[in-house]
Amino acid sequence: MSSALLHSLLDDAGQTSGPDWLKQVRVEARTRLLERGLPAARNEAWKYTPLRALESRRLRRVAAASQPVDVDPGLYTLAGVGSPRLVFVDGTLRPDLSDVSSVHGLAIESLGTALERDAQSLRASLGRSFDADAQVFARLNSALPSDGAVIRVAAGVKVEPLLHLVMLGSAGAADAYWQLRNVIELGEGSALRLIEHHAGGQGCSHLGNVVNQYSLHAGARLDLLQLQAAPDSVRLIRRSDAVLDADAHLEMRCVEAGAQWMRHDLAVALQGDRARLVSRGVFVLNGRQHADTRIDVSHQARDTACDLVWRGVADQRARGVFHGAITVCAGADGADALLSNKNLLLSDQAEIDTQPVLEIHADEVKAAHGATVGQLDEKALFYLRSRGIDEAAARSLLTLAFCRIAFDSITNEALHGQLDALLLERLPRAESAADTAQVTG
Amino acid sequence: MNIASAGNAVQAAEAVVSPGNERIVEAMNRRYEAGFVTDIATDSLPPGLDEGVVRWISKRKGEPEWMTDWRLAAYRHWLTMHSPEWAKLRIGAIDFQAISYFAAPKQGPKSLDEVDPKLLETYDKLGVPLHERAKLAGVAVDAVFDSVSVGTTFRKELAEAGVIFCSMSEAIREHPDLVRRYIGSVVPQGDNFFAALNSAVFSDGSFVFIPKGVRCPMELSTYFRINAGHTGQFERTLIIAEEGASVSYLEGCTAPMRDENQLHAAVVELVALDDASIKYSTVQNWYPGDENGVGGIYNFVTKRGDCRGARSKIIWTQVETGSAITWKYPSCVLRGDDSTGEFHSVALTHHCQQADTGTKMIHIGRNTKSKIIAKGISAGRGQNTYRGLVKVEKGAVGARNYTQCDSLLIGKRCGAHTFPYIEVKHPSAIVEHEATTSKISDEQMFYCRSRGISEEDAVSLIVDGFCKQVFRELPMEFAVEAKKLLEVSLEGAVG
Repeated sequence: MSSALLHSLLDDAGQTSGPDWLKQVRVEARTRLLERGLPAARNEAWKYTPLRALESRRLRRVAAASQPVDVDPGLYTLAGVGSPRLVFVDGTLRPDLSDVSSVHGLAIESLGTALERDAQSLRASLGRSFDADAQVFARLNSALPSDGAVIRVAAGVKVEPLLHLVMLGSAGAADAYWQLRNVIELGEGSALRLIEHHAGGQGCSHLGNVVNQYSLHAGARLDLLQLQAAPDSVRLIRRSDAVLDADAHLEMRCVEAGAQWMRHDLAVALQGDRARLVSRGVFVLNGRQHADTRIDVSHQARDTACDLVWRGVADQRARGVFHGAITVCAGADGADALLSNKNLLLSDQAEIDTQPVLEIHADEVKAAHGATVGQLDEKALFYLRSRGIDEAAARSLLTLAFCRIAFDSITNEALHGQLDALLLERLPRAESAADTAQVTG
Repeated sequence: MNIASAGNAVQAAEAVVSPGNERIVEAMNRRYEAGFVTDIATDSLPPGLDEGVVRWISKRKGEPEWMTDWRLAAYRHWLTMHSPEWAKLRIGAIDFQAISYFAAPKQGPKSLDEVDPKLLETYDKLGVPLHERAKLAGVAVDAVFDSVSVGTTFRKELAEAGVIFCSMSEAIREHPDLVRRYIGSVVPQGDNFFAALNSAVFSDGSFVFIPKGVRCPMELSTYFRINAGHTGQFERTLIIAEEGASVSYLEGCTAPMRDENQLHAAVVELVALDDASIKYSTVQNWYPGDENGVGGIYNFVTKRGDCRGARSKIIWTQVETGSAITWKYPSCVLRGDDSTGEFHSVALTHHCQQADTGTKMIHIGRNTKSKIIAKGISAGRGQNTYRGLVKVEKGAVGARNYTQCDSLLIGKRCGAHTFPYIEVKHPSAIVEHEATTSKISDEQMFYCRSRGISEEDAVSLIVDGFCKQVFRELPMEFAVEAKKLLEVSLEGAVG
């Protein structure tokens, strides 16, 4: 199937920098894309997020401007989070906005620089082919030259400061497209705390396509907060691929509170014995927002564990889609897998589609999932009302409490407070609830 | 990602079989008990399918023109369709031209006394309650042997209550208005690939009509049996319960051993009007193929109930132990306000069996409720998938669903999968889904063994407990049969 979107982006892919193997990867990805097009409506992975509307759009890659656009730092500043910070605007690194003062054991560079210096070390990440048609946007990401961040933590180093990776859009044009490819590698026994932050100026309406590849070597630990607070006019496609070696631990929190149309594929391979994933997440949608989160966890070794707790809130005419699949491969005995997905529907125009999936090929396994769609607890509402809190504020408070599970474990109080405020702002009748939150808080 | 090496590790792990497992393997490799073939000359169509075949079937059954046209419309639609590929099943290409679409026993028996003794013997082996046994069991039987009904009992008693219980062919002849009004109203001709095929070539099936306010005086039962080789069976069942009526319908199947894959594509339609209730129970034990996955029935069934009236209720209960491939999603369309749908299922896969089964609950009316209890048991290399949809449409104020799916794994090479789809478009709905997967725990086994219970009995006890929630929903005689079926398949299955 031919797609105007793909043709508009691929036809002028003239740049051919980089080593030969990378050029080869791009050519192959490009050929497949033009051959296969975007996945059809009957593709299960895109069942609830049709691409028909996108297919006919013509897009243009945002060119690196000779004169960098002015960006208001207020767009990405987070309370309690300072340097090191890495800022990308429209898919290009902005050294003037970034601050990567040297931290022991932490190497940060742009993908371009990293490729020039030592391309071979990136071959495993960038050489990956995305074979399934459902991974079409990751394939598109591979087909085009890309900037991004390469973040490496040396073995045994526990990085103290919180690293802030900002991905901003500034372009106002509706046909703007930018992409990023981030490679994050944690050496044996190392530890890193990272915030991936999607933001943008009001009114920008680009399509962003971000692929993150994390590899955690034995015993490494990554604490990751993905905060997606892009303006409600943006379309954003993200893919996060994580590979965990033995005893590695990925602790992940996702807050999806922006974008008009958003798709996030999170694929985690627990390849080493005792590897462990903890994932907490929430989406809060209103207006005509569409958010589709798709998680695939694959247990490939012994005694691996995953613990996924996700919440969803959809108001007005929004549509929230959640797919949480856990696969336990044959031989992955001792796997302990748990998924819980609870959703609140706040309007009769909104829709929630949820699909928790288990695929189990081993018998020494503990696997369970649960999904619900419903409303707030009437008793809790009554309790708050009986304390003199008006109904709308009570609802907002309870809804916030419902969402908070996604980031409750964050100990940085200032950051926690900002996340609260961000979500409250998106909930109905936010003002009175915010007051009450302060009064009662 | 290094999946290939993980795969090798997996294979190495598989090779380790604990000593206890050997006994399981032996016990599980028992031959199919119902595997025998009755030698009766059949009057079959040669293999192949075209409009001529559809017309021939319709003419042979003496159907009116509208029925022939209905079949032809289905056939033409079928030609434009493709076999569904979304299920988690590995199916070899099916050559629909290699199948014979009609087989009927040559003798046309008019009463049970005229029934071929060999045929009765077959039923005897299977324990069908015909003759006195039927009477004693209090069950009216519409037995289907291959494609034509050979005996129907208790007709009079049912007729007195106003209940119509007959074969579909008979219903088309004698109650054409009813059939015409309801057939295809729940599962339209073009609903899906296999339903379209069935609509074109359906051979026979059962027809039940319970008039207004009547509570069917006995449980209705039909026995399906595939007998002749190269023969697809295309049953079509239609059950209508008018206002305030209620009926419990039992369906059981077992088939003789064959090497070729036999295709079965049935359609069951249920219609429940205001305050009516229909309970449909199935025990399916068709030939599952041998331990290497050779042969076995391909079972592609479309079952759907329409709760058309307010406060109507449809309950599906199934125990699926047979067939090489099961593709089956008994569904409820909850159209009437305050209507209820329930689905209770036990599915067992063993050796190379594959099952992709579940249900759909479509909430359309106000205050509709649905409940799903699905238990899957996988052993050997069996692959067992639950696939279910719970959909709450925009107008379904106060819809309520509860779903529970549990899987039990017995052995290292089997698989248990859960694919629920939940789509909610109304904020007042409450939808809950829970699923667990586990094996029989060492603690459970140890507890039973310490009480002097043998290993085999312990497994059977635990499996029975695992399935109890579903068995409770079965009519008593079926519950006994279902329990026995599982025991036979799973004795000593855990080491």
